[in-house]
Amino acid sequence: MAKSYGIGSIYFGILGVVTLAFGIADLIVTIGGDSFTWSILEIPGDMFRGGWGGLIILFAGLFYLSGIKNLSEIHQLSKVVLGSILIWIIAGTDIFTMITESIPGGEEGGWFNTLEDFFGTYAPPYAPAIFLLPFSLVVIYYVYKRK
Amino acid sequence: MKLNVDERWDLIDKISKEVVSYGKYEHTLKDALGELSVKPLAGIPIAITVLYGFWSVFSSFAGTLWTDGFMVKIFDEHFLPWMQAHFPGEGGWLYYIVVGDPAADNCFEAFGVLTSGLFVAIGVVLGAILIFYLMLTLLEDVGYMPRLAVLIDTILHKIGLHGYAIVPTILSLGCNVPAITATRILETRKQRFIMMTLLAIFIPCGAQLGIMEEVIPDTMGVVVLYLIIGYFIFGFVLNKIIPGKSPEILIDVPPYQMPTKRNVGRKMWMRTSGFLKVAVPFVLLGCMIVNVLYLTGVMDQLANALGPLLMGWFGVPKETVGPLIAAFLRKDLAVAQLSAIEMTDYQMITSVVLVSIYFPCVATFAMMLKEGWKELLGSLVVLAVVVFLYGGLVHLIGILAGVA
Repeated sequence: MAKSYGIGSIYFGILGVVTLAFGIADLIVTIGGDSFTWSILEIPGDMFRGGWGGLIILFAGLFYLSGIKNLSEIHQLSKVVLGSILIWIIAGTDIFTMITESIPGGEEGGWFNTLEDFFGTYAPPYAPAIFLLPFSLVVIYYVYKRK
Repeated sequence: MKLNVDERWDLIDKISKEVVSYGKYEHTLKDALGELSVKPLAGIPIAITVLYGFWSVFSSFAGTLWTDGFMVKIFDEHFLPWMQAHFPGEGGWLYYIVVGDPAADNCFEAFGVLTSGLFVAIGVVLGAILIFYLMLTLLEDVGYMPRLAVLIDTILHKIGLHGYAIVPTILSLGCNVPAITATRILETRKQRFIMMTLLAIFIPCGAQLGIMEEVIPDTMGVVVLYLIIGYFIFGFVLNKIIPGKSPEILIDVPPYQMPTKRNVGRKMWMRTSGFLKVAVPFVLLGCMIVNVLYLTGVMDQLANALGPLLMGWFGVPKETVGPLIAAFLRKDLAVAQLSAIEMTDYQMITSVVLVSIYFPCVATFAMMLKEGWKELLGSLVVLAVVVFLYGGLVHLIGILAGVA
């Protein structure tokens, strides 16, 4: 039991540092003004997704880091859960935006998008929150483990 | 049998020993998350995230999917040309009122009752209202709203209100009408007056937000910022000058819970249908009255009479007089009208701020009257002062920043 929480602390510690780094990168890119794309990663440069979104990712990283000590304690675990919830909200809204963009056919097209363009909307590059999403889901294991 | 005080207490002890069991209560994850969301250090990031999620879903659904995705196409490419081709009497006054400008190629510019009126009501506002009320209902039913009330209590005390004033404020972002009713949850006349006045002046409704998202997507943030700053500045001033008490609140914060489909569905239906009953007739009526004023030449006379004030003090074109009159009927309609007037970005920002802080829409006006004519009169006096001072201030800021 204690060993698994120890592994959890290390895992969320690393995830916290990565999340924090993504948050800082988001803010720096937003201050720069243009979005930054590297391979399949895209850091948005607009005030809303880059600025606000970046600030929230930074908060998520801080929640992870503040919760890793004594993870088996419920109040500490709740901070880690909260870090994950923040990432789920950001990633969830990013995915919802993709869904709303993928359905209509656009100004020149028909009522609905073509199948090719529909799937094309979901192609990379992705924002940092989407990359963090699968790693943040690990917290569900710890929530159920506690139950 | 008659018991004295001691015997009664003994009896209470006996009963409680039999029915109450004692033990150590263990905090659950829900409890711990609930505690975190009312502590400022964690609660503020949570509130920022909730607002981010709220706005992101709102603009993606209402703007990208509903209006731009389908409604613009339905109205501009099919309905408007069909109306322009089939409505009889092109060039006549009835045609002008019902269909609008025969040369217009989009519903924002046509400005007929059945073209722009229906486009604004259904093509823009309905989508915005549906998603707004869905999000609001989910936040209420999950149990987040009372926590937000606790979190924001200290800040709202600075303007004479308390945490629960966040309920009418957020409701007002959907529609001012139910929000005015919701001010009854505040205890004193002073609080109700401050809240009602601030709602009527500084909070744009969901319909207006939807149109703003469509018309001024890039500068909307500046408009909202001006309104938020005005909300707190004038709230602070009103708190200082209005006599009366602003008591503390004691609220029961329920545990976080899963919303039920039935409750969400009922609330959504009640709110959306109520909104449509109030909004749609006023949008259509607004289009009609503004068109009649244009046709009879009244609008031009008003524009010429108020031109020096509008251009000199507020720094906006004199043509904005039309939208300002329309704003009394529907503010969303007024913002849509502004989009057809040629002006600089900053003039557009000032105009939208003016439309927002100018007279409340007629439905809100009627609701305020229902709450008391003295309150309404007081609010209108404050409103006149605010429009003049704050509108001038926004212009001054533009001049100082070199953009006006």
